[in-house]
Amino acid sequence: MRDATDNPGGRKGKIRSGRTTRILDLTKDRPSGSRMQPIRLSTSAHAGPSDPLAIRGAARPTAVGRIRRNAVSGASVQPSAIPVRVAKPKQAVDSWREFVQKRYNAEAKYLNLDSMIEDELVKKYNLTPPGHGGTSRDAAVIFKLASQLKPEIQSLSLANNNLTGTLLVQLGRYLPNIVNLSLQNNKIRDKKEISMIVPRKDKMIHLRELVLTGNPIRELAYKNGAGATYRADMVRRFTSLEVLDQEPITQISFDAPQPSASHVPVEKPTATTFPFEVGPSFVTGVDGAIVSKFLTRFFNAFDSQRDLLMGAYDTAATFSFSANTSIPARARVVGFHSSPAMPNQRKLDWKTWLETGSRNLNRIGGDPQKTLGNLHIGGEQIVKVLANLPPTRHDISGPPEKFCLDSFPVPHGQSMGLLLTIHGEFTEVSSGGIRSFDRTFMLVPATEGSRAKLNGWDVAILSDQWIIRSYSSHEAWKAGPLLVQATGQQSQPAPGAAQPFSIANFPADQQAALASLPEAQRNLVIEVCARTGLNAKFAVDCLTGNAWDLERAIANFNQVKGSLARDAFL
Amino acid sequence: MTAPLTPSDIEIATRAADHFTRIYYTAYDSDTRLADLPHFYRPNSSLTWNGKPFQGAEGLTQLVSKMPATKHEVQSFDCHPIPGAQPPSLLITVSGSVTHGRGPAGNPPDTHQRNPEGHPRVFSQTFILVPDPTAPPTKPGEVAKYYVGADALRFVG
Repeated sequence: MRDATDNPGGRKGKIRSGRTTRILDLTKDRPSGSRMQPIRLSTSAHAGPSDPLAIRGAARPTAVGRIRRNAVSGASVQPSAIPVRVAKPKQAVDSWREFVQKRYNAEAKYLNLDSMIEDELVKKYNLTPPGHGGTSRDAAVIFKLASQLKPEIQSLSLANNNLTGTLLVQLGRYLPNIVNLSLQNNKIRDKKEISMIVPRKDKMIHLRELVLTGNPIRELAYKNGAGATYRADMVRRFTSLEVLDQEPITQISFDAPQPSASHVPVEKPTATTFPFEVGPSFVTGVDGAIVSKFLTRFFNAFDSQRDLLMGAYDTAATFSFSANTSIPARARVVGFHSSPAMPNQRKLDWKTWLETGSRNLNRIGGDPQKTLGNLHIGGEQIVKVLANLPPTRHDISGPPEKFCLDSFPVPHGQSMGLLLTIHGEFTEVSSGGIRSFDRTFMLVPATEGSRAKLNGWDVAILSDQWIIRSYSSHEAWKAGPLLVQATGQQSQPAPGAAQPFSIANFPADQQAALASLPEAQRNLVIEVCARTGLNAKFAVDCLTGNAWDLERAIANFNQVKGSLARDAFL
Repeated sequence: MTAPLTPSDIEIATRAADHFTRIYYTAYDSDTRLADLPHFYRPNSSLTWNGKPFQGAEGLTQLVSKMPATKHEVQSFDCHPIPGAQPPSLLITVSGSVTHGRGPAGNPPDTHQRNPEGHPRVFSQTFILVPDPTAPPTKPGEVAKYYVGADALRFVG
């Protein structure tokens, strides 16, 4: 048994297309440019209520006819997607559907839901629109119905409906691809209500035009002389916005893929292997000696006397650092954070970095003071900031596999610059803990007579961005093939010691942990592993518990080996 | 002597980077990646993927067409307008995690719990976004249309 809601049936398309034609006919008579693409939600176009007379006359007979037919029809090929949990009588859903379809201009992809309370259908079916007795659930029903419109809706006007943020909480969920949105003449009071409508910045990433004119959030701001702040807030909040309250926003734009274009049939990503292997450090279009000379000098000064670096920065250079405090998944799986081989990791603390001006825009992007204040400009200011950052030790002339570079020339204005990225690790001197980092430099040749040249630098830094993150092993950039998933062969830990036993016998994660040990201790650990089959972590535990005495450790192992879990072994 | 940046340069750049990172990784992770992602590149774009060089939108297509499905999570990003050109190019660095294929769920059932394969990797990606002089502003308020001039990606964890 199907009830009426479940039964638009095969007839749906036919009715919809007939309806669409009629609405288009009506639209032609309306005084707006609403058929232009993309539609502009301007006051002159449709600030007022729709033309209820014209629509009423055209729509009613069809609507009634459709309901009657539905009532007797048993055929159903397309169940409604309206969830049962929506606590409205089915008939109300049907009435709202009829209303939404009546208000949709399919050619312009524009749904005009202005002044719902005044609509003849709303009156006829005794519907309670959100803002006039209806709840956020009623609004959700309407938005869900709107999300089912074909072609996909681009523009939505909800002008003149007495709406608050609370009533609009489901808007972004059902219509995440909306391009133009008018909320003109409603009751949205503050930023908190905006956040209810679009809780996260990754919703509505295609929104180009927004109208909030006639809402307290905007009108009070302008009345109190805070119009610019209101605008700046909204502009930051909606990163894709090009027009706010009919005024253009100064912005950089991209040839972004359009939501409507994303139905082009293309091959979906289905590969189960990586198409390319990891390559070694890639340096091209520049003398490698210049790069290594720069890095050696830079990091040596960075670790010992940061004010020496003033000469390396251009007078207009930019510097900032950002802390990525997330725990890396692979490092967690292999246990670096609690590895006895790296005992100082537990002493590390993000507080210092976060309090000295991390410019992770993911976190502080909404704060204009920090966004500006944590970006440092010019050599003088930069070295002052560097001096206040925690002391570091970069083992830049140590094992080369611990660092990875990519560097190639890039256009810069009318000439060329050099992009240089370096990934690696450093020790935070105060705790002895190890962190990983990524550092990106934009370099230009030091010109004759420039401060950089006078200080003996071949290149000058134009931009310097430093990302500090939790330790991950340098195995990540080891040249060679990459796996997408674990494979059968690698799904078990390597079987016991083949001779000769060396660091190469360990899994990647343990190799990294071993490599971070002083050589004398490392050799002891390898010896214990070779003789007991313990993995590096347990071998370190065992040695630590026996004051790094090899024979005591082995003896201790022999006492307890029966009680050790399987994952204690290689 | 390079002209210093203004607060307005920085605000516009910050917002552009915020927008760019959202639409870029949304496109990368979508089923329509092959149609969407090349939009951001031009024939003269330089790319490296884990040390392998590629050239232009075509190289990007070659790179991603056989790449497993991805899910990126941006954990940190930063952006500077690069001083010395007007409108300035943007230097963007992104740090985050990326899951390929089915992630840990796609590993064989007997996979050792300490085996990191299949788990999300840490990625580090640097972009230089440059204004396209051949694409004059088409919209009110538009400073310029920017594209990816350089893109260097590494798996770093």
